[in-house]
Amino acid sequence: MKTPREILLERHQAAAPKLDAIRQSAVAAVCGRRISNERQSQTTATMILKTFWLELVWPCRRIWAGLAAVWILIFVFNLSQRDPSELMARKSPPPAPQMVLAFWQQEKLLDELMVPDKPPAVEPPKPFLPQPRSELRMQTLTA
Amino acid sequence: MEIPGNQLNLLPSQTFHSMKMPAVAESEQLPVPQARAGEPAAWDALFRRYQLPLYVYVFELTRNEQTSLDLVQETFIAAVKHLGGLRDGEKFGSWLFGIAHQKVIQLWRKRGGRELLFDEIPESLDEFEDSPDELLIRREQEAAFMNLLNQLPPPQRSALLLHFVEDFSLEEIARITETQIGTVKSRLHYAKRALRKLLKQNER
Repeated sequence: MKTPREILLERHQAAAPKLDAIRQSAVAAVCGRRISNERQSQTTATMILKTFWLELVWPCRRIWAGLAAVWILIFVFNLSQRDPSELMARKSPPPAPQMVLAFWQQEKLLDELMVPDKPPAVEPPKPFLPQPRSELRMQTLTA
Repeated sequence: MEIPGNQLNLLPSQTFHSMKMPAVAESEQLPVPQARAGEPAAWDALFRRYQLPLYVYVFELTRNEQTSLDLVQETFIAAVKHLGGLRDGEKFGSWLFGIAHQKVIQLWRKRGGRELLFDEIPESLDEFEDSPDELLIRREQEAAFMNLLNQLPPPQRSALLLHFVEDFSLEEIARITETQIGTVKSRLHYAKRALRKLLKQNER
């Protein structure tokens, strides 16, 4: 006595080698997919760099090299021309509290001296009183 | 319907579990998360588990060896491609059979077949609840069983195969075949009734 399942599977056991081959090809496809995914992520960055290099840098390489040399010269010149007092100031220890206090008092005194005088009092505007039109005309005529 | 005891014996299931067959129960731990991570070993295990049942299902519907092999291969490739679409909690087996079922339907559509789509049985039955392992067939009845399977209309054959080969639940068969549960019940009922009738005739 067998179950229908057993009968069905037994009947098709002969196809097992072919199915094994299909399984292996499918698993190989999985491997290929995995590798291609990894490669794709790696190659994207390198492709961008390569394109940048080939299309932007390499055709004008002499100009880029010249620009780079100029920038290096500017940098070196800038370094050599730096004020040594700045460096000394950076290296000097922080000022003493007495000095800070004296400086602060001096600044306060300067502020007091520099305060401007009170602005002159502004005459308040006259309130507008409406006048009859005839008087208004008379005023303009007399003027 | 009265069924003679010597034809459809209700035996404990352990009598045939010693055979070297792929396990039926989906409770087994399948390496689906590892397959999601793209591990080839996990895919190998999954395909090894389902290759023969899937082939049996497809072959019994198409009746062509090369076509069945092609469809199994296409199913595997589609599974690799679309495993991300497998929802959490959805069983891998029923999902894979669903892909294979769609492939079979596409093939039939290409060939102008309408049988799987339009041979519906409208009535719904509730008495279907027996396990496929409860139906035991004697050696001399095997040929008759296979013959009957081939004579069944494709919708009934499909439901019966899914029930026999992987012991899928009614809900799973309904999901695989994209039909209502009531329709699956009635298909299985009629298919089993025809099977029992045939086995009874064969006994005489």
